Amino acid sequence: MAEVIFSEVKKSFGAFTAVHGLNLHITEGEFVSLLGPSGCGKTTTLRMLAGLEFPTSGDIQIGDRVVNDIPPGQRDIAMVFQSYALYPHMSVADNIAYPLKKRGVGKADRSIAVAKTAELLQLTELLKRKPRQLSGGQQQRVALGRALVRDPKVFLLDEPLSNLDAKLRGYMRVELVELHRRLGRTMVYVTHDQLEAMTMSDRIAVMEGGVLQQFAPPAEVYAAPANRFVASFIGTPGMTLMDGALSRQGGTWRFEAPGISMDVGALNDRAEPGGACLGVRPEHVLIGQGPVNGTIQVVEKTGHENIVIIGLEGGQRLTGRVPAPQSWSIGENVQLSLDAEQAHIFGPGPHGPRLNLPSNVATPDLKSAAN
Amino acid sequence: MAHLRKILFNLMAWSIVLAVAFPLFWMLVTSVKPQFELFRRPPTILPETWTFEHYWTLLADTNFLVYFRNSVILSSATTLLVVAVATLGAYSLVRFKYRGRESLAFLVLFTYLLPSVVLIIPLYLLLVQLGVSNTIFSLVIAYTTFALPYALWLLRSFMAGIPEDLESAALCDGATRMGAFRDIILPQLLPGIISTALFTFILSWNEYLYALVLVNSDSSRPLTTGVMNMLISSFNIEWSLLMAASVMMSVPLIIVFAFLQSYLTRGFGAGGVKG
Repeated sequence: MAEVIFSEVKKSFGAFTAVHGLNLHITEGEFVSLLGPSGCGKTTTLRMLAGLEFPTSGDIQIGDRVVNDIPPGQRDIAMVFQSYALYPHMSVADNIAYPLKKRGVGKADRSIAVAKTAELLQLTELLKRKPRQLSGGQQQRVALGRALVRDPKVFLLDEPLSNLDAKLRGYMRVELVELHRRLGRTMVYVTHDQLEAMTMSDRIAVMEGGVLQQFAPPAEVYAAPANRFVASFIGTPGMTLMDGALSRQGGTWRFEAPGISMDVGALNDRAEPGGACLGVRPEHVLIGQGPVNGTIQVVEKTGHENIVIIGLEGGQRLTGRVPAPQSWSIGENVQLSLDAEQAHIFGPGPHGPRLNLPSNVATPDLKSAAN
Repeated sequence: MAHLRKILFNLMAWSIVLAVAFPLFWMLVTSVKPQFELFRRPPTILPETWTFEHYWTLLADTNFLVYFRNSVILSSATTLLVVAVATLGAYSLVRFKYRGRESLAFLVLFTYLLPSVVLIIPLYLLLVQLGVSNTIFSLVIAYTTFALPYALWLLRSFMAGIPEDLESAALCDGATRMGAFRDIILPQLLPGIISTALFTFILSWNEYLYALVLVNSDSSRPLTTGVMNMLISSFNIEWSLLMAASVMMSVPLIIVFAFLQSYLTRGFGAGGVKG
């Protein structure tokens, strides 16, 4: 068990910088997801933690030890790869036993440990098989078994569920959360799937372009995204983002865009009159009555709810979410209002910072977002 | 129509088989015919009297066994050297990033652009300077120079097919780089190593030109030049002995091939890595 600390970690490959001055403090026993689109530096970050890549500058600490120059085998970590990376010529039992063998554990102790791990993961029947004789889900469990058979300080998981079908993925998500609860070990989990990150993590580190955008619990990342990128990345269907302008009216602010004009209340001291962005989650679009006029353009029926896309008079499009019984036909004119209390205001630019006051939600980590 | 096409196709295939197999068959029957039956007209397809006297003559009265031993030593040593160097070289070319890596790989292939005749003289002078000329060892070096580039490229493509994740996983599991190479990479590379070994062995076993130029003492001659030197002169060709020698020269290759061929198709490490 150990905490993991990244201090000003930078990683460059030639002229390309994959990770920019990353600061991250993962506490002992925490389940942290590194979330972001492909190429955001999350896998590089994990590989640096594993010792498979070395940081260009900065320090990585596991427990009370700086591990910058320590090879992977001596870091006391275990890693599960996206490809599973099972050794094809070894049986399941030998695959699971390999980390113990490399650490000089005797044969008798090895087989006891393997049997125990196999039982935990329901692999006992498969121990004599070769990896190619297993299904994807079984291979995944063997890969997990190889990590679990030791008692490492930190578990590293690199998109371990991405090769499974949707149903199995849902099942394994629950299993992993259960496993984390039972073992209480620090786990660092890389994913591009926000559902995995949201459902499994204690905290999510959202990354983009090698820069940490926000590091906060899932609820906070959803309710108070630190900047426009996080707001657009988290949530399905995504938040509607509308470019417009802010103007000050005494102590409060007003947002205006083609077809929309609304009071957004008080903002923090980074707010300035001029270009800004309004973000509204689909559940905060109230269709039926209100000051805004629009036309229903698309209705997506998912069963328990309907996703509607509404065209506004100014040409903007807005995504709304309503319970299933409510539905509209395409082309219908509707009136709607936006829940001003729940609206998000961001500064200009693709990474425009959040301008809302931190009052109605838990304090967002604005400091890390500003990096 | 389809029927006719099938017959034609079969006819063509069998003619090719026949064209390839007939010389081998003729070599075999000639080697067991007595001398007087060789040039009889019309020729006998199967010998009327079977004899193994040519084989006995070769084994008992000539240097054949010395040449045979030389060829075995020469081909095995070349194969070992080439496979060892090419495996490590291919590993380096695939796994490590360094300046000039690609140019190095292409430069190695450049030797193939030159006809081997051009390289013989410089190589000979080099071997004389090294003081190893006229030995089996000099041929090992010479054969390595032309077998290594091809072996390197062959193994490089096999090596590139081994997912890097496997090695990373072994490193995380506590293996050293050499340990991961031994435990994980080598077993995966086995089909590639066997193909390369087979290729190198056949190349060295059948090589003639370098052996002719670089070695001229009976104690270090391999089979190819040895047999040629012994049985073929300007005035006479000892057909019976030549055919018996040819049969015995082919046997080791057939054995090696039969033994290793099963490895070639076996154990291609599919299924260990998904995605």
